[in-house]
Amino acid sequence: MGLFNSTILDVIIGLIFVYLLLSIMCTAANEWVAALGKRRAKTLVRGLEQLLNNQLLTEDPRPGEKTPKPLVDAFREHPLIKTMFNGERPPTYLSPRSFSTSLTDILTAEHGGPVTFENLLKGVSKLPEGEVKKSLVALLRHCDRDIDKARFAIEGWFNDAMDRVSGWYKRRTQLWTIVIAAVLTVVANADTIQITRKLWTDPVLRSAVVEEAKVRAQKPRPTVSVEYENEDDPTNPTVTRNEGNQLSDKERDLLGALVGWHNKDNFNPFTPLGWLLTVLAISMGAPFWFDMLNKIMNIRFAGKSPDERAKVPEKSGSTVRA
Amino acid sequence: MSSSKRLQIILLITALLTSSSICRAEITVALSKSFVNKYKDKATIPTTFNIDKHHNSPNPIGSGSDDGDIHIAGRDTVVRLPMVAEIINGAKEPGALDFLLQSTAGQAIPLTGVWRLWFEHPGNEDQVQGEEVPLPKNTNPDHIFEFHPVVKFGDFDVLKSFGPIEDEEAEFRGYPAEKAFNAYEKRPATITKSNTAIMLTSNKAAFNYVEFQMRLAGKPKDVGDGYIVFANVYNANAKANDEPVIEESRRMIFVKGSAPADAVKDLKKGNKLHVLGIPRVNLNLVYAIASGLQGDEEYSESLPYEMIIVAILKD
Repeated sequence: MGLFNSTILDVIIGLIFVYLLLSIMCTAANEWVAALGKRRAKTLVRGLEQLLNNQLLTEDPRPGEKTPKPLVDAFREHPLIKTMFNGERPPTYLSPRSFSTSLTDILTAEHGGPVTFENLLKGVSKLPEGEVKKSLVALLRHCDRDIDKARFAIEGWFNDAMDRVSGWYKRRTQLWTIVIAAVLTVVANADTIQITRKLWTDPVLRSAVVEEAKVRAQKPRPTVSVEYENEDDPTNPTVTRNEGNQLSDKERDLLGALVGWHNKDNFNPFTPLGWLLTVLAISMGAPFWFDMLNKIMNIRFAGKSPDERAKVPEKSGSTVRA
Repeated sequence: MSSSKRLQIILLITALLTSSSICRAEITVALSKSFVNKYKDKATIPTTFNIDKHHNSPNPIGSGSDDGDIHIAGRDTVVRLPMVAEIINGAKEPGALDFLLQSTAGQAIPLTGVWRLWFEHPGNEDQVQGEEVPLPKNTNPDHIFEFHPVVKFGDFDVLKSFGPIEDEEAEFRGYPAEKAFNAYEKRPATITKSNTAIMLTSNKAAFNYVEFQMRLAGKPKDVGDGYIVFANVYNANAKANDEPVIEESRRMIFVKGSAPADAVKDLKKGNKLHVLGIPRVNLNLVYAIASGLQGDEEYSESLPYEMIIVAILKD
């Protein structure tokens, strides 16, 4: 037996397998926390507030109102936007078209009939001085007095703002990934040093882990699946992680044997270092560890008979209804 | 095994790997995320287009590349990728053709066209949106982006070109549905993202025009400059009980004001149309996939695509 068919390689496979399972759990927890905290919806609201903030709709209060209404409030109260709220719960997505239609409608509320460029320009010029007014005036200046071009420009303005929102969302998601990885590691006592020791000293457990790692490598790569759920709406696909993101009962059992607070001796001076290594590994993400597992499997089984090699599958991707 | 035998095997493997990578010739196009988000659900893009090289007459009408198109190579101010603009049914747009023939090299004109990302003429070099676009040397430079079909050329509305591509002697019908769609389904794609860009990698595609029957799977959605509707794809002469040529429905894109758009806008689920279409990358799905990727994660699967409907055909 050479180096590449040795205990060392099996321990590495076991470690990668554990990291992969923990990463999958971390991703699921992150999505659950995001849904629970309405993170996406709150980020959209924050983006809208930033876009329309510091802009009043009128100079003076309207009849029955004590103070002039902020534009952002008028926007939220617009019927097109209001219907997107589920009770008090804001929507997670707002199309550029809905944004431009609602904003144009608010700004041209005094005029009946179809909206013209002149109506829109008049509506914008009536706004009190503010950042939104400055932005809209600049946008309308380049629209050749064409209402369609004006709508298009407003949609572009909204899109640019939403790109920034996506940036905030991504940064928050990355932060949450590390927080959740840390919590998961400590709660499960997923100490890399102890896991390595168990894999090294227990040949039965090690062998079972390698066998299960083979099965895991046959599953789809844990990545995104995209599907249009509503056949009447061809513009809103749903993004999910695919079936490679679920743990089997056997995987859970093996994970339970490798991590956990089995007795008080589980904690020693090196435990925090072991946790830190695990948190860093989990933050690499499940797809990274899945690819790593496949690569190491190919090395591990390179010297086996063709029949045995055939059991190690090729990497498979996710399915998309494209 | 002797050293010379080993060397022979190594050389053979190297040759095989090299030849397979040459055959695959994968090209990457890097697109601005905000561009993708802005146009993913639009039929067209309005821009200012510099006419650099152009045909002096439309392609003949027949089969294969005899598709009646007028090719114009140029550069624009919105997309900023190597590109061509193609007026389909060129013979039916004499005003636009005269205007083109009288244009000077490099002349900037307003142009609106259906955006089309497709790896039909990708060349050998990666393309990055926003980088300086080299002056095209002929009417068909290496490009992944096209305005195809053109909707407005200068002051000329060329929406009439959205119809059967025919003259007195022949009618162009495109490839059969089964052949073309089976090829589209197998197009490879790798999608990755950075903070500001989406990278899309694929290789050369074939089967430009396809004739098929579409049966609506939902209702048409007005997207401002056009309609988008899900439809199942059948062979052109499919009977009521025939199976679709691909399993899933696909997005069909119609340009507002064109004859195909007028034909589809009031149709309901189950209604059918006999059409001529061309494929393009489905940026709506590309954007969704990129949004779902984590960190440096790579998505490798089939290329998401949709169909631009350019003509309603007679049965």
